[in-house]
Amino acid sequence: MLKILLPTIMLLPTITLCKPKQLWPTTLINSFGVALLSLQWFNPPQELTMTFSNYYLSIDQISAPLLILSCWLTPLMILASQNHLIMEPISRKQTFIFTIILLQISLMLAFSTTELIMFFIMFEATLIPTLVIITRWGNQMERLNAGTYFLFYTLIGSLPLLIALLSLQNQIGTLSICMMQLNQPTMLSTWTHTTWWFALLIAFMIKMPLYGLHLWLPKAHVEAPIAGSMILAAVLLKLGGYGIIRITLTLNPLSKTLSYPFMVLALWGVIMTGSICLRQTDLKSLIAYSSVSHMGLVIAATLTQTQWAHTGAITLMIAHGLTSSMLFCLANTNYERTHSRTLLLARNMQLLFPLMGLWWLLASLTNMALPPTINLMGELTIITSLFNWSNITILMTGLGTLITATYTLYMLSTTQWGEMPSYIKMIPPTHTREHLLMMLHILPTTLLMMKPELIWGTFY
Amino acid sequence: MVEPSSSSTFSYRGAPLASLPRELDPAEYNESPEKRQAQAERLAVRARLKRQYQLQLNNPHSSELIEDPAMLRWTYARTYNIYPNFRPTPKTSLLGALSGLVPIFFWWYVFKADRDRKEKLIQEGKYKRPFVLNS
Repeated sequence: MLKILLPTIMLLPTITLCKPKQLWPTTLINSFGVALLSLQWFNPPQELTMTFSNYYLSIDQISAPLLILSCWLTPLMILASQNHLIMEPISRKQTFIFTIILLQISLMLAFSTTELIMFFIMFEATLIPTLVIITRWGNQMERLNAGTYFLFYTLIGSLPLLIALLSLQNQIGTLSICMMQLNQPTMLSTWTHTTWWFALLIAFMIKMPLYGLHLWLPKAHVEAPIAGSMILAAVLLKLGGYGIIRITLTLNPLSKTLSYPFMVLALWGVIMTGSICLRQTDLKSLIAYSSVSHMGLVIAATLTQTQWAHTGAITLMIAHGLTSSMLFCLANTNYERTHSRTLLLARNMQLLFPLMGLWWLLASLTNMALPPTINLMGELTIITSLFNWSNITILMTGLGTLITATYTLYMLSTTQWGEMPSYIKMIPPTHTREHLLMMLHILPTTLLMMKPELIWGTFY
Repeated sequence: MVEPSSSSTFSYRGAPLASLPRELDPAEYNESPEKRQAQAERLAVRARLKRQYQLQLNNPHSSELIEDPAMLRWTYARTYNIYPNFRPTPKTSLLGALSGLVPIFFWWYVFKADRDRKEKLIQEGKYKRPFVLNS
Protein backbone atom coordinates (compact mmCIF):
# COMPACT_ATOMS: atom_id res chain seq x y z
CA MET A 1 0.00 0.00 0.00
CA LEU A 2 2.70 2.36 1.00
CA LYS A 3 4.76 1.78 -2.13
CA ILE A 4 1.93 3.28 -4.11
CA LEU A 5 0.86 6.01 -1.73
CA LEU A 6 4.32 7.42 -1.15
CA PRO A 7 5.28 7.84 -4.82
CA THR A 8 1.97 9.60 -5.40
CA ILE A 9 2.50 11.96 -2.49
CA MET A 10 6.09 12.54 -3.56
CA LEU A 11 4.87 13.48 -7.02
CA LEU A 12 3.59 16.71 -5.48
CA PRO A 13 7.05 18.20 -4.82
CA THR A 14 8.34 16.55 -8.02
CA ILE A 15 5.99 18.74 -10.00
CA THR A 16 7.59 21.87 -8.63
CA LEU A 17 11.16 20.56 -8.78
CA CYS A 18 11.35 19.17 -12.31
CA LYS A 19 12.42 21.24 -15.29
CA PRO A 20 9.55 23.05 -17.00
CA LYS A 21 10.18 21.33 -20.33
CA GLN A 22 9.95 17.95 -18.68
CA LEU A 23 6.86 18.57 -16.61
CA TRP A 24 4.41 16.56 -18.69
CA PRO A 25 6.66 13.56 -19.44
CA THR A 26 7.80 13.36 -15.81
CA THR A 27 4.35 13.38 -14.30
CA LEU A 28 3.06 11.04 -16.96
CA ILE A 29 5.74 8.42 -16.46
CA ASN A 30 5.53 8.70 -12.70
CA SER A 31 1.77 8.22 -12.63
CA PHE A 32 2.01 5.34 -15.13
CA GLY A 33 4.52 3.72 -12.78
CA VAL A 34 2.06 4.14 -9.91
CA ALA A 35 -0.72 2.68 -12.08
CA LEU A 36 1.47 -0.30 -12.95
CA LEU A 37 2.29 -0.91 -9.30
CA SER A 38 -1.38 -0.62 -8.39
CA LEU A 39 -2.15 -3.70 -10.48
CA GLN A 40 -0.81 -5.78 -7.61
CA TRP A 41 -4.06 -5.07 -5.79
CA PHE A 42 -5.85 -7.45 -8.12
CA ASN A 43 -4.27 -10.29 -6.20
CA PRO A 44 -7.22 -12.12 -4.65
CA PRO A 45 -7.02 -12.73 -0.92
CA GLN A 46 -6.31 -16.28 0.15
CA GLU A 47 -7.28 -16.32 3.78
CA LEU A 48 -8.91 -13.16 5.03
CA THR A 49 -11.14 -10.89 3.03
CA MET A 50 -8.82 -7.93 3.28
CA THR A 51 -5.29 -7.80 1.95
CA PHE A 52 -2.42 -5.33 1.97
CA SER A 53 -3.65 -3.99 5.24
CA ASN A 54 -2.17 -1.81 7.90
CA TYR A 55 -3.92 -0.13 10.80
CA TYR A 56 -5.98 2.25 8.70
CA LEU A 57 -5.99 1.06 5.12
CA SER A 58 -6.75 -2.24 3.51
CA ILE A 59 -7.80 -3.55 0.14
CA ASP A 60 -10.54 -6.01 -0.53
CA GLN A 61 -12.15 -7.13 -3.72
CA ILE A 62 -14.77 -4.39 -3.72
CA SER A 63 -12.29 -1.56 -3.38
CA ALA A 64 -9.45 -3.02 -5.45
CA PRO A 65 -11.03 -2.50 -8.90
CA LEU A 66 -12.04 1.07 -8.04
CA LEU A 67 -8.61 1.86 -6.66
CA ILE A 68 -6.90 0.51 -9.74
CA LEU A 69 -9.31 2.47 -11.91
CA SER A 70 -8.51 5.73 -10.12
CA CYS A 71 -4.77 5.02 -10.33
CA TRP A 72 -5.13 4.18 -14.03
CA LEU A 73 -7.11 7.29 -14.74
CA THR A 74 -4.56 9.78 -13.39
CA PRO A 75 -2.01 9.35 -16.22
CA LEU A 76 -4.92 9.39 -18.66
CA MET A 77 -6.09 12.70 -17.22
CA ILE A 78 -2.59 14.13 -17.53
CA LEU A 79 -2.40 12.85 -21.10
CA ALA A 80 -5.76 14.35 -22.03
CA SER A 81 -5.08 17.80 -20.59
CA GLN A 82 -1.89 18.51 -22.47
CA ASN A 83 -3.55 20.29 -25.34
CA HIS A 84 -5.89 22.69 -23.62
CA LEU A 85 -3.19 23.78 -21.17
CA ILE A 86 -0.61 24.43 -23.85
CA MET A 87 -0.89 28.19 -23.65
CA GLU A 88 -0.87 28.47 -19.90
CA PRO A 89 2.22 29.60 -17.97
CA ILE A 90 4.20 26.89 -16.27
CA SER A 91 3.00 27.70 -12.76
CA ARG A 92 -0.63 27.13 -13.75
CA LYS A 93 0.23 23.84 -15.40
CA GLN A 94 1.97 22.80 -12.21
CA THR A 95 -1.07 23.82 -10.18
CA PHE A 96 -3.32 21.79 -12.45
CA ILE A 97 -1.26 18.63 -12.11
CA PHE A 98 -0.95 19.31 -8.38
CA THR A 99 -4.74 19.37 -8.14
CA ILE A 100 -5.05 16.13 -10.10
CA ILE A 101 -2.56 14.35 -7.86
CA LEU A 102 -4.26 15.67 -4.72
CA LEU A 103 -7.52 14.27 -6.07
CA GLN A 104 -5.90 10.93 -6.67
CA ILE A 105 -4.46 10.77 -3.17
CA SER A 106 -7.81 11.51 -1.55
CA LEU A 107 -9.51 8.97 -3.82
CA MET A 108 -6.96 6.29 -2.95
CA LEU A 109 -7.37 6.96 0.74
CA ALA A 110 -11.17 7.00 0.39
CA PHE A 111 -11.35 3.65 -1.34
CA SER A 112 -8.84 1.85 0.84
CA THR A 113 -9.72 3.11 4.30
CA THR A 114 -11.27 0.92 6.94
CA GLU A 115 -12.63 3.64 9.19
CA LEU A 116 -15.90 5.12 8.04
CA ILE A 117 -15.06 8.56 9.40
CA MET A 118 -11.87 8.56 7.35
CA PHE A 119 -13.94 7.56 4.35
CA PHE A 120 -16.26 10.48 5.04
CA ILE A 121 -13.37 12.92 5.32
CA MET A 122 -11.84 11.68 2.08
CA PHE A 123 -15.27 11.72 0.44
CA GLU A 124 -15.49 15.41 1.24
CA ALA A 125 -11.84 16.00 0.43
CA THR A 126 -12.35 14.92 -3.17
CA LEU A 127 -14.76 17.82 -3.60
CA ILE A 128 -12.19 20.57 -3.26
CA PRO A 129 -9.72 19.61 -6.03
CA THR A 130 -12.62 18.82 -8.34
CA LEU A 131 -14.20 22.18 -7.59
CA VAL A 132 -10.88 23.87 -8.35
CA ILE A 133 -10.56 22.00 -11.63
CA ILE A 134 -14.11 22.82 -12.72
CA THR A 135 -14.21 26.48 -11.78
CA ARG A 136 -10.66 27.43 -12.63
CA TRP A 137 -10.08 25.57 -15.89
CA GLY A 138 -13.56 25.22 -17.29
CA ASN A 139 -14.29 27.00 -20.51
CA GLN A 140 -17.59 28.76 -20.21
CA MET A 141 -18.95 31.32 -17.83
CA GLU A 142 -21.46 28.82 -16.52
CA ARG A 143 -18.67 26.92 -14.80
CA LEU A 144 -19.15 28.99 -11.64
CA ASN A 145 -22.78 27.97 -11.47
CA ALA A 146 -21.75 24.40 -12.15
CA GLY A 147 -19.18 24.43 -9.36
CA THR A 148 -21.71 25.82 -6.91
CA TYR A 149 -24.28 23.16 -7.81
CA PHE A 150 -21.66 20.43 -7.60
CA LEU A 151 -20.35 21.52 -4.21
CA PHE A 152 -23.59 22.26 -2.44
CA TYR A 153 -25.59 19.30 -3.66
CA THR A 154 -22.97 16.95 -2.26
CA LEU A 155 -22.49 18.92 0.93
CA ILE A 156 -26.21 18.99 1.72
CA GLY A 157 -26.27 15.23 1.50
CA SER A 158 -23.14 14.65 3.49
CA LEU A 159 -24.16 16.55 6.61
CA PRO A 160 -26.78 13.91 7.54
CA LEU A 161 -24.15 11.29 6.75
CA LEU A 162 -21.77 12.82 9.26
CA ILE A 163 -24.43 12.95 11.96
CA ALA A 164 -25.47 9.35 11.31
CA LEU A 165 -21.88 8.12 11.43
CA LEU A 166 -21.17 10.00 14.64
CA SER A 167 -24.30 8.63 16.28
CA LEU A 168 -23.22 5.15 15.24
CA GLN A 169 -19.80 5.77 16.76
CA ASN A 170 -21.47 6.83 19.99
CA GLN A 171 -23.50 3.65 20.09
CA ILE A 172 -20.94 1.07 19.04
CA GLY A 173 -17.68 2.76 19.97
CA THR A 174 -15.91 2.11 16.69
CA LEU A 175 -16.46 2.77 13.02
CA SER A 176 -13.96 0.34 11.65
CA ILE A 177 -15.42 -1.83 8.92
CA CYS A 178 -13.70 -4.92 10.28
CA MET A 179 -14.96 -4.38 13.81
CA MET A 180 -18.50 -3.47 12.90
CA GLN A 181 -19.07 -6.84 11.27
CA LEU A 182 -18.93 -8.33 14.77
CA ASN A 183 -21.67 -6.02 15.93
CA GLN A 184 -25.22 -7.24 16.45
CA PRO A 185 -27.47 -5.92 13.71
CA THR A 186 -30.24 -3.73 15.01
CA MET A 187 -33.60 -4.96 13.75
CA LEU A 188 -35.69 -1.89 14.31
CA SER A 189 -38.62 -0.96 12.17
CA THR A 190 -39.13 2.41 13.76
CA TRP A 191 -39.06 5.76 12.08
CA THR A 192 -35.75 6.49 13.82
CA HIS A 193 -34.17 3.58 12.06
CA THR A 194 -35.57 4.64 8.71
CA THR A 195 -34.39 8.22 9.20
CA TRP A 196 -30.97 7.00 10.24
CA TRP A 197 -30.66 4.88 7.12
CA PHE A 198 -31.92 7.78 5.02
CA ALA A 199 -29.22 9.99 6.52
CA LEU A 200 -26.59 7.35 5.75
CA LEU A 201 -27.66 6.86 2.17
CA ILE A 202 -28.66 10.30 0.99
CA ALA A 203 -25.10 11.55 0.51
CA PHE A 204 -24.24 8.62 -1.73
CA MET A 205 -27.51 8.89 -3.58
CA ILE A 206 -26.73 12.50 -4.45
CA LYS A 207 -23.22 11.51 -5.48
CA MET A 208 -24.22 8.62 -7.72
CA PRO A 209 -26.54 10.47 -8.69
CA LEU A 210 -30.05 9.33 -8.08
CA TYR A 211 -32.55 10.60 -10.62
CA GLY A 212 -34.33 13.27 -8.57
CA LEU A 213 -31.09 14.71 -7.20
CA HIS A 214 -29.02 14.59 -10.36
CA LEU A 215 -29.20 18.23 -11.35
CA TRP A 216 -25.58 18.94 -10.51
CA LEU A 217 -24.22 16.28 -12.81
CA PRO A 218 -24.95 17.63 -16.29
CA LYS A 219 -23.73 21.05 -15.24
CA ALA A 220 -20.53 19.80 -13.64
CA HIS A 221 -19.69 17.38 -16.42
CA VAL A 222 -20.34 19.84 -19.20
CA GLU A 223 -18.48 22.78 -17.71
CA ALA A 224 -15.47 20.82 -16.48
CA PRO A 225 -12.35 20.54 -18.59
CA ILE A 226 -11.54 17.12 -19.96
CA ALA A 227 -9.59 15.95 -16.92
CA GLY A 228 -12.42 17.05 -14.63
CA SER A 229 -15.03 15.29 -16.76
CA MET A 230 -12.96 12.12 -16.89
CA ILE A 231 -12.40 11.84 -13.18
CA LEU A 232 -15.96 12.88 -12.36
CA ALA A 233 -17.54 10.33 -14.65
CA ALA A 234 -15.14 7.52 -14.03
CA VAL A 235 -14.37 7.58 -10.34
CA LEU A 236 -16.18 10.24 -8.35
CA LEU A 237 -19.62 8.87 -9.16
CA LYS A 238 -18.39 5.45 -8.09
CA LEU A 239 -17.45 6.87 -4.69
CA GLY A 240 -21.17 7.03 -4.07
CA GLY A 241 -21.67 3.47 -5.26
CA TYR A 242 -18.78 2.22 -3.19
CA GLY A 243 -20.19 4.02 -0.15
CA ILE A 244 -23.61 2.42 -0.58
CA ILE A 245 -22.11 -1.05 -1.00
CA ARG A 246 -19.83 -0.71 2.03
CA ILE A 247 -22.52 0.67 4.28
CA THR A 248 -25.22 -1.80 3.30
CA LEU A 249 -22.82 -4.72 3.63
CA THR A 250 -21.51 -3.61 7.01
CA LEU A 251 -24.62 -2.27 8.63
CA ASN A 252 -27.28 -4.79 7.68
CA PRO A 253 -30.24 -4.65 7.38
CA LEU A 254 -31.44 -1.80 5.24
CA SER A 255 -34.90 -0.68 6.23
CA LYS A 256 -37.39 -2.00 3.73
CA THR A 257 -39.55 1.07 3.52
CA LEU A 258 -36.56 3.06 2.36
CA SER A 259 -35.61 0.83 -0.51
CA TYR A 260 -38.87 1.54 -2.38
CA PRO A 261 -38.54 5.28 -3.06
CA PHE A 262 -34.85 5.00 -3.95
CA MET A 263 -35.45 1.99 -6.15
CA VAL A 264 -38.36 3.63 -7.94
CA LEU A 265 -36.40 6.84 -8.48
CA ALA A 266 -33.39 4.92 -9.76
CA LEU A 267 -35.34 2.77 -12.22
CA TRP A 268 -37.61 5.54 -13.42
CA GLY A 269 -34.50 7.66 -13.73
CA VAL A 270 -32.96 5.13 -16.10
CA ILE A 271 -35.84 5.64 -18.51
CA MET A 272 -36.21 9.38 -17.97
CA THR A 273 -32.56 10.30 -18.38
CA GLY A 274 -32.31 7.98 -21.35
CA SER A 275 -35.17 9.83 -22.99
CA ILE A 276 -33.57 13.17 -22.16
CA CYS A 277 -30.43 11.94 -23.93
CA LEU A 278 -32.39 11.62 -27.13
CA ARG A 279 -33.25 15.32 -27.01
CA GLN A 280 -29.84 16.75 -26.24
CA THR A 281 -28.04 19.18 -28.47
CA ASP A 282 -24.87 19.23 -26.40
CA LEU A 283 -22.60 16.23 -26.81
CA LYS A 284 -21.09 16.33 -23.35
CA SER A 285 -24.53 16.76 -21.84
CA LEU A 286 -25.64 13.61 -23.65
CA ILE A 287 -22.77 11.62 -22.18
CA ALA A 288 -23.46 13.11 -18.74
CA TYR A 289 -27.10 12.03 -18.80
CA SER A 290 -26.04 8.58 -19.99
CA SER A 291 -23.89 8.42 -16.85
CA VAL A 292 -26.95 9.14 -14.72
CA SER A 293 -28.80 6.39 -16.56
CA HIS A 294 -26.15 3.75 -15.95
CA MET A 295 -25.69 4.76 -12.36
CA GLY A 296 -29.43 4.43 -11.82
CA LEU A 297 -29.05 0.74 -12.59
CA VAL A 298 -26.20 0.51 -10.10
CA ILE A 299 -28.24 2.18 -7.35
CA ALA A 300 -31.20 -0.11 -7.98
CA ALA A 301 -28.90 -3.12 -7.78
CA THR A 302 -27.14 -2.12 -4.58
CA LEU A 303 -30.46 -1.53 -2.87
CA THR A 304 -31.57 -5.13 -3.45
CA GLN A 305 -28.56 -6.29 -1.43
CA THR A 306 -28.20 -9.70 -3.01
CA GLN A 307 -24.91 -11.26 -4.05
CA TRP A 308 -25.58 -11.05 -7.75
CA ALA A 309 -26.68 -7.46 -7.41
CA HIS A 310 -23.44 -6.40 -5.72
CA THR A 311 -21.42 -8.26 -8.33
CA GLY A 312 -23.30 -6.58 -11.13
CA ALA A 313 -23.02 -3.18 -9.48
CA ILE A 314 -19.25 -3.35 -9.08
CA THR A 315 -18.79 -4.69 -12.61
CA LEU A 316 -20.96 -2.01 -14.14
CA MET A 317 -19.20 0.70 -12.12
CA ILE A 318 -15.80 -0.28 -13.51
CA ALA A 319 -17.08 -0.83 -17.03
CA HIS A 320 -19.00 2.42 -17.09
CA GLY A 321 -16.04 4.29 -15.64
CA LEU A 322 -13.81 3.28 -18.51
CA THR A 323 -16.46 3.75 -21.19
CA SER A 324 -17.74 7.09 -19.98
CA SER A 325 -14.24 8.48 -19.61
CA MET A 326 -13.46 7.35 -23.15
CA LEU A 327 -16.60 9.02 -24.48
CA PHE A 328 -15.66 12.26 -22.77
CA CYS A 329 -12.18 12.09 -24.30
CA LEU A 330 -13.74 11.58 -27.72
CA ALA A 331 -16.09 14.51 -27.18
CA ASN A 332 -13.08 16.54 -26.17
CA THR A 333 -11.31 15.77 -29.45
CA ASN A 334 -14.34 17.26 -31.19
CA TYR A 335 -14.40 20.22 -28.83
CA GLU A 336 -10.73 21.06 -29.30
CA ARG A 337 -11.25 21.24 -33.03
CA THR A 338 -14.53 23.07 -33.34
CA HIS A 339 -14.62 24.84 -29.93
CA SER A 340 -18.24 23.90 -29.64
CA ARG A 341 -20.01 21.06 -27.97
CA THR A 342 -22.97 21.07 -30.33
CA LEU A 343 -23.73 17.59 -31.51
CA LEU A 344 -24.84 18.70 -34.95
CA LEU A 345 -21.76 20.76 -35.61
CA ALA A 346 -19.27 17.96 -36.19
CA ARG A 347 -20.91 15.41 -38.40
CA ASN A 348 -19.39 12.80 -40.69
CA MET A 349 -16.19 12.91 -38.73
CA GLN A 350 -15.42 9.38 -39.81
CA LEU A 351 -14.50 10.67 -43.23
CA LEU A 352 -11.93 13.00 -41.75
CA PHE A 353 -10.65 10.90 -38.87
CA PRO A 354 -11.09 7.23 -39.69
CA LEU A 355 -9.08 5.88 -36.78
CA MET A 356 -10.90 8.10 -34.34
CA GLY A 357 -14.05 6.68 -35.90
CA LEU A 358 -12.89 3.28 -34.71
CA TRP A 359 -12.59 4.56 -31.16
CA TRP A 360 -16.00 6.20 -31.42
CA LEU A 361 -17.43 2.89 -32.59
CA LEU A 362 -15.82 0.89 -29.80
CA ALA A 363 -16.86 3.39 -27.14
CA SER A 364 -20.43 3.43 -28.43
CA LEU A 365 -20.55 -0.36 -28.59
CA THR A 366 -19.39 -0.70 -25.01
CA ASN A 367 -21.76 2.04 -23.90
CA MET A 368 -24.64 0.12 -25.45
CA ALA A 369 -23.62 -2.95 -23.44
CA LEU A 370 -22.82 -5.05 -26.44
CA PRO A 371 -21.89 -8.64 -25.67
CA PRO A 372 -19.25 -9.72 -24.67
CA THR A 373 -18.13 -6.50 -23.02
CA ILE A 374 -18.02 -6.13 -19.27
CA ASN A 375 -20.74 -3.51 -19.57
CA LEU A 376 -23.08 -6.24 -20.67
CA MET A 377 -21.94 -8.55 -17.90
CA GLY A 378 -22.68 -5.89 -15.32
CA GLU A 379 -26.01 -4.84 -16.80
CA LEU A 380 -27.23 -8.39 -17.31
CA THR A 381 -26.35 -9.37 -13.76
CA ILE A 382 -28.12 -6.29 -12.44
CA ILE A 383 -31.21 -6.89 -14.58
CA THR A 384 -31.37 -10.49 -13.41
CA SER A 385 -31.06 -9.58 -9.75
CA LEU A 386 -33.70 -6.86 -10.13
CA PHE A 387 -35.99 -9.40 -11.80
CA ASN A 388 -35.56 -11.56 -8.75
CA TRP A 389 -36.47 -8.61 -6.52
CA SER A 390 -39.66 -7.94 -8.42
CA ASN A 391 -40.68 -9.32 -11.78
CA ILE A 392 -42.08 -5.99 -12.95
CA THR A 393 -38.69 -4.28 -13.02
CA ILE A 394 -37.95 -6.08 -16.28
CA LEU A 395 -40.25 -3.59 -17.99
CA MET A 396 -38.19 -0.65 -16.87
CA THR A 397 -34.77 -2.20 -17.29
CA GLY A 398 -35.65 -3.63 -20.70
CA LEU A 399 -36.98 -0.30 -21.91
CA GLY A 400 -33.91 1.34 -20.42
CA THR A 401 -31.60 -0.92 -22.39
CA LEU A 402 -33.51 -0.13 -25.57
CA ILE A 403 -33.31 3.62 -24.98
CA THR A 404 -29.59 3.34 -24.16
CA ALA A 405 -28.95 1.63 -27.48
CA THR A 406 -31.03 4.28 -29.26
CA TYR A 407 -29.26 7.33 -27.91
CA THR A 408 -25.84 5.75 -28.23
CA LEU A 409 -26.50 5.00 -31.88
CA TYR A 410 -27.90 8.50 -32.29
CA MET A 411 -24.69 9.95 -30.89
CA LEU A 412 -22.53 7.67 -33.03
CA SER A 413 -24.43 8.29 -36.25
CA THR A 414 -24.57 12.05 -35.78
CA THR A 415 -20.87 12.44 -35.10
CA GLN A 416 -19.57 9.84 -37.51
CA TRP A 417 -21.91 9.67 -40.47
CA GLY A 418 -24.24 12.01 -42.24
CA GLU A 419 -23.80 15.15 -44.24
CA MET A 420 -20.35 16.64 -44.20
CA PRO A 421 -20.57 20.13 -42.72
CA SER A 422 -19.46 22.62 -45.37
CA TYR A 423 -18.67 25.36 -42.89
CA ILE A 424 -15.70 23.51 -41.44
CA LYS A 425 -12.82 24.84 -43.46
CA MET A 426 -9.89 23.33 -41.69
CA ILE A 427 -9.68 20.72 -39.00
CA PRO A 428 -6.34 19.88 -37.43
CA PRO A 429 -5.51 16.19 -37.73
CA THR A 430 -5.60 13.84 -34.78
CA HIS A 431 -2.62 13.58 -32.52
CA THR A 432 -0.92 10.35 -31.64
CA ARG A 433 -1.47 11.34 -28.04
CA GLU A 434 -5.23 11.21 -28.57
CA HIS A 435 -5.06 7.78 -30.14
CA LEU A 436 -2.89 6.62 -27.27
CA LEU A 437 -5.45 7.98 -24.85
CA MET A 438 -8.31 6.09 -26.50
CA MET A 439 -6.26 2.93 -26.75
CA LEU A 440 -5.41 3.11 -23.06
CA HIS A 441 -9.10 3.35 -22.29
CA ILE A 442 -10.20 0.48 -24.49
CA LEU A 443 -7.31 -1.80 -23.53
CA PRO A 444 -8.45 -2.46 -19.93
CA THR A 445 -12.02 -2.92 -21.16
CA THR A 446 -10.89 -5.55 -23.66
CA LEU A 447 -8.57 -7.28 -21.23
CA LEU A 448 -11.21 -7.39 -18.53
CA MET A 449 -13.48 -9.16 -21.00
CA MET A 450 -11.01 -12.02 -20.83
CA LYS A 451 -10.82 -12.18 -17.05
CA PRO A 452 -13.85 -10.48 -15.54
CA GLU A 453 -13.37 -12.24 -12.22
CA LEU A 454 -11.05 -9.41 -11.29
CA ILE A 455 -13.94 -6.95 -11.08
CA TRP A 456 -16.62 -9.25 -9.74
CA GLY A 457 -16.09 -8.31 -6.13
CA THR A 458 -16.25 -10.50 -3.09
CA PHE A 459 -19.17 -12.64 -4.11
CA TYR A 460 -17.52 -14.43 -6.95
CA MET B 1 -52.33 24.20 -66.05
CA VAL B 2 -52.07 24.07 -69.83
CA GLU B 3 -55.23 23.50 -71.84
CA PRO B 4 -55.24 20.35 -73.95
CA SER B 5 -54.57 20.97 -77.61
CA SER B 6 -57.33 18.60 -78.65
CA SER B 7 -59.70 16.53 -76.60
CA SER B 8 -58.54 13.19 -78.03
CA THR B 9 -54.80 13.57 -77.45
CA PHE B 10 -52.90 13.24 -74.19
CA SER B 11 -53.30 16.30 -72.01
CA TYR B 12 -50.42 17.25 -69.84
CA ARG B 13 -51.02 17.54 -66.16
CA GLY B 14 -48.51 18.02 -63.40
CA ALA B 15 -47.73 15.08 -61.08
CA PRO B 16 -50.44 14.94 -58.39
CA LEU B 17 -48.05 15.15 -55.39
CA ALA B 18 -45.32 17.33 -56.84
CA SER B 19 -45.42 21.11 -56.77
CA LEU B 20 -45.56 22.94 -60.03
CA PRO B 21 -42.30 24.64 -61.07
CA ARG B 22 -42.43 28.39 -61.09
CA GLU B 23 -41.70 28.60 -64.82
CA LEU B 24 -44.71 26.50 -65.76
CA ASP B 25 -47.19 28.47 -63.68
CA PRO B 26 -48.94 31.01 -65.91
CA ALA B 27 -49.66 33.27 -62.94
CA GLU B 28 -45.93 33.89 -62.69
CA TYR B 29 -45.95 35.98 -65.80
CA ASN B 30 -48.65 38.32 -64.57
CA GLU B 31 -47.02 39.42 -61.30
CA SER B 32 -47.71 42.88 -59.99
CA PRO B 33 -44.86 45.39 -59.59
CA GLU B 34 -45.12 45.24 -55.77
CA LYS B 35 -44.60 41.51 -55.86
CA ARG B 36 -41.67 41.93 -58.21
CA GLN B 37 -40.23 44.51 -55.82
CA ALA B 38 -40.59 42.18 -52.86
CA GLN B 39 -38.97 39.34 -54.78
CA ALA B 40 -36.06 41.58 -55.72
CA GLU B 41 -35.57 42.61 -52.08
CA ARG B 42 -35.55 39.02 -50.89
CA LEU B 43 -33.10 38.16 -53.63
CA ALA B 44 -30.86 41.00 -52.47
CA VAL B 45 -30.91 39.69 -48.88
CA ARG B 46 -30.08 36.16 -50.03
CA ALA B 47 -27.31 37.42 -52.25
CA ARG B 48 -25.85 39.45 -49.38
CA LEU B 49 -25.83 36.43 -47.11
CA LYS B 50 -24.28 34.27 -49.79
CA ARG B 51 -21.60 36.87 -50.38
CA GLN B 52 -20.88 37.04 -46.66
CA TYR B 53 -20.55 33.28 -46.52
CA GLN B 54 -18.30 33.17 -49.57
CA LEU B 55 -16.08 35.89 -48.13
CA GLN B 56 -15.67 33.90 -44.92
CA LEU B 57 -15.16 30.67 -46.82
CA ASN B 58 -12.40 32.01 -49.04
CA ASN B 59 -10.73 34.23 -46.49
CA PRO B 60 -7.16 32.95 -46.13
CA HIS B 61 -6.62 34.59 -42.75
CA SER B 62 -9.67 33.40 -40.95
CA SER B 63 -10.13 30.45 -38.69
CA GLU B 64 -11.10 26.88 -39.18
CA LEU B 65 -14.82 27.16 -38.63
CA ILE B 66 -17.44 29.46 -40.05
CA GLU B 67 -19.76 30.25 -37.20
CA ASP B 68 -23.41 29.90 -37.88
CA PRO B 69 -25.20 32.49 -35.72
CA ALA B 70 -28.50 30.69 -36.19
CA MET B 71 -27.02 27.50 -34.77
CA LEU B 72 -25.51 29.36 -31.85
CA ARG B 73 -28.85 30.97 -31.05
CA TRP B 74 -30.62 27.65 -31.40
CA THR B 75 -28.26 25.81 -29.07
CA TYR B 76 -28.38 28.65 -26.56
CA ALA B 77 -32.16 28.59 -26.63
CA ARG B 78 -32.27 24.85 -26.18
CA THR B 79 -29.75 24.62 -23.35
CA TYR B 80 -29.39 27.79 -21.33
CA ASN B 81 -32.48 29.82 -22.03
CA ILE B 82 -35.19 27.46 -20.85
CA TYR B 83 -35.49 28.25 -17.18
CA PRO B 84 -35.40 32.07 -17.54
CA ASN B 85 -38.51 31.75 -19.67
CA PHE B 86 -40.25 29.41 -17.30
CA ARG B 87 -43.17 30.63 -15.26
CA PRO B 88 -45.09 28.37 -12.90
CA THR B 89 -48.65 28.39 -14.18
CA PRO B 90 -51.42 25.93 -13.34
CA LYS B 91 -50.74 24.09 -16.57
CA THR B 92 -46.99 23.75 -16.03
CA SER B 93 -47.47 22.80 -12.39
CA LEU B 94 -49.94 20.12 -13.38
CA LEU B 95 -47.63 18.82 -16.09
CA GLY B 96 -44.72 18.79 -13.68
CA ALA B 97 -46.68 16.89 -11.05
CA LEU B 98 -47.98 14.44 -13.63
CA SER B 99 -44.63 13.67 -15.20
CA GLY B 100 -42.52 14.01 -12.06
CA LEU B 101 -44.47 12.88 -9.03
CA VAL B 102 -47.20 10.59 -10.33
CA PRO B 103 -44.85 8.01 -11.93
CA ILE B 104 -42.84 7.78 -8.70
CA PHE B 105 -45.86 7.03 -6.61
CA PHE B 106 -47.37 4.78 -9.28
CA TRP B 107 -44.30 2.58 -9.52
CA TRP B 108 -43.92 2.62 -5.70
CA TYR B 109 -47.43 1.26 -5.37
CA VAL B 110 -46.87 -1.33 -8.13
CA PHE B 111 -43.63 -2.67 -6.63
CA LYS B 112 -44.97 -2.66 -3.10
CA ALA B 113 -48.11 -4.54 -4.13
CA ASP B 114 -46.14 -7.08 -6.13
CA ARG B 115 -43.62 -7.73 -3.40
CA ASP B 116 -46.26 -7.90 -0.68
CA ARG B 117 -48.15 -10.45 -2.75
CA LYS B 118 -45.03 -12.54 -3.15
CA GLU B 119 -44.21 -12.18 0.55
CA LYS B 120 -47.71 -13.34 1.47
CA LEU B 121 -47.37 -16.36 -0.82
CA ILE B 122 -44.00 -17.25 0.69
CA GLN B 123 -45.27 -16.94 4.23
CA GLU B 124 -48.27 -19.10 3.45
CA GLY B 125 -45.92 -21.61 1.88
CA LYS B 126 -47.65 -21.45 -1.49
CA TYR B 127 -44.78 -19.87 -3.47
CA LYS B 128 -43.19 -22.40 -5.81
CA ARG B 129 -39.49 -21.70 -6.00
CA PRO B 130 -38.48 -21.57 -9.65
CA PHE B 131 -34.98 -22.97 -9.01
CA VAL B 132 -33.72 -25.46 -6.48
CA LEU B 133 -30.73 -23.77 -4.91
CA ASN B 134 -29.97 -25.83 -1.84
CA SER B 135 -29.26 -29.29 -3.19
